[in-house]
Amino acid sequence: MKKLTKLIMIGMLTALLLSGCSLPGLGGGSGETIKIGTVTTSETQTLGYIQKYMIEHYTDLNAEIVGNLGSSIVMHQAMVNGDVDISAARYTGTDLSGALHMDLVNDPEEAMEIVQREFQDQFDQKWYDTYGFDNTYVLSVRQDVAEKEGLEKVSDLSSVADKYLFGVDNSWINREGIGYDEFVKEYGFEFNKVYPMQIGLVYSALNNKKMDAVLAYSTDARLKQFNLATLEDDKHFFPPYDASPVASNDLLEEHPEIDGILQKLVGKFDNDTIIELNYQADIEKKEPSTIAKEYLEAHNYFEDE
Amino acid sequence: MDLLKELVTYYNDNGAYVWTEFYRHFLMSAYGVLFAAIVGIPIGILIARYSKLSPWVISFVNVIQTIPALALLAVLMLVMGLGTNTVILALFLYSLLPIVKNTYTGILGVDKTLKEAGNAMGMTRFQILRMVELPLSLSVIMAGLRTALVIAIGIATIGTFIGAGGLGSIIVRGTNAAEGGAIILAGAIPTALMAVLADFVMGWFERLLSPANSRKLS
Repeated sequence: MKKLTKLIMIGMLTALLLSGCSLPGLGGGSGETIKIGTVTTSETQTLGYIQKYMIEHYTDLNAEIVGNLGSSIVMHQAMVNGDVDISAARYTGTDLSGALHMDLVNDPEEAMEIVQREFQDQFDQKWYDTYGFDNTYVLSVRQDVAEKEGLEKVSDLSSVADKYLFGVDNSWINREGIGYDEFVKEYGFEFNKVYPMQIGLVYSALNNKKMDAVLAYSTDARLKQFNLATLEDDKHFFPPYDASPVASNDLLEEHPEIDGILQKLVGKFDNDTIIELNYQADIEKKEPSTIAKEYLEAHNYFEDE
Repeated sequence: MDLLKELVTYYNDNGAYVWTEFYRHFLMSAYGVLFAAIVGIPIGILIARYSKLSPWVISFVNVIQTIPALALLAVLMLVMGLGTNTVILALFLYSLLPIVKNTYTGILGVDKTLKEAGNAMGMTRFQILRMVELPLSLSVIMAGLRTALVIAIGIATIGTFIGAGGLGSIIVRGTNAAEGGAIILAGAIPTALMAVLADFVMGWFERLLSPANSRKLS
């Protein structure tokens, strides 16, 4: 019996040891592979692959995608544990309340300053300036209605809202501080009726005229697919969710050239670009990896800047 | 028909990506089974020799098999972190049962008179193992590897949840997309194909190594 347990232990240990080093054909484990974390959304995946191909284009390092992480909290844990070196995209609003347990801030620049400072101090990670897009809540109406009623800003809705059916994300309606009640207080008008639903349904509900206005996500490809108009949040009611890459300082010290590569991506993706990329992924059903490659080839890997 | 068209466009656009994930998926499964074979076959031989140990070992590997794959992955993730190595360890553990059990059954199934004949010829225990028991049980052991590999290919699809990639990534992306039916199929079809192909190839080996055939070969 003793002999056997010994044998099993040895076997298990060898297996563990063997799997501790990187296996031929599968990167990972070794320090020379940069691990880029993405969550399940198309935009983080596309940006993750863009980073991967940029790193492989400019350096001899290998980069690997650690994909489909459950949420930004899982991503944060993975960064802290060192399973992931770079987060493809993190959003100011999400991590203010998630990783930092702080109150939401309405001013985008202030929010950015806070996360940059706190991530440097608390987690030894560098939070870059924004890619140039934000994935926040945005009020949306049909294009023809917007033109007919002359709607450009959320405030413009005040005269027509009492006739409008309003479709919203069911996780938003009761959110503390930024939910519907506060929305009504801030803007001073109410909709005729509010319908909470799955966020994925609001776009077609609006397009099919079941709803007159909806609360959408500002980078969703279906805004482009159905040609929906978005209204400017003129009272800055919704908190900013500006997207940025985040990298661990350990990685940047070891490979300083990566800092320059990530810096090249800052400010290169506005909302229209991201919607276009999401459109290719979600509607045309291209893989983020393919989209990233094509995009970088079309832009010459941002070499000219 | 639309679905078929979408599927063809998908493979056209993303062929290279599907291929890398396919290769990755296969490697993860193969490594898991390979390590399990390195560990499991000796264990199987050992417990066939010392039959008192067999109930312990068999029930131990049985218990591993009853743990749900997602739970096992999650627990291993806490210890080993994200990535392919964790998935390979999980596949290793799941592959132990078919490999250990088949080796054990195969060795026990060898006719006693043959072993006695070997003994009478003055063969050592190791020689009996190498020249009598192993050749005669090889096809049963191969059957165990075959089962293990097919199971591993199936389980490897959920490796994507701990960031290991593989064909599961394509399936999960399909479930997240608004109308992702075609993407789900685009990931599921190669996975099923790989399992069927692995089953076929291993089955061919199994027949090749069966005692009836090896006599013909030699």
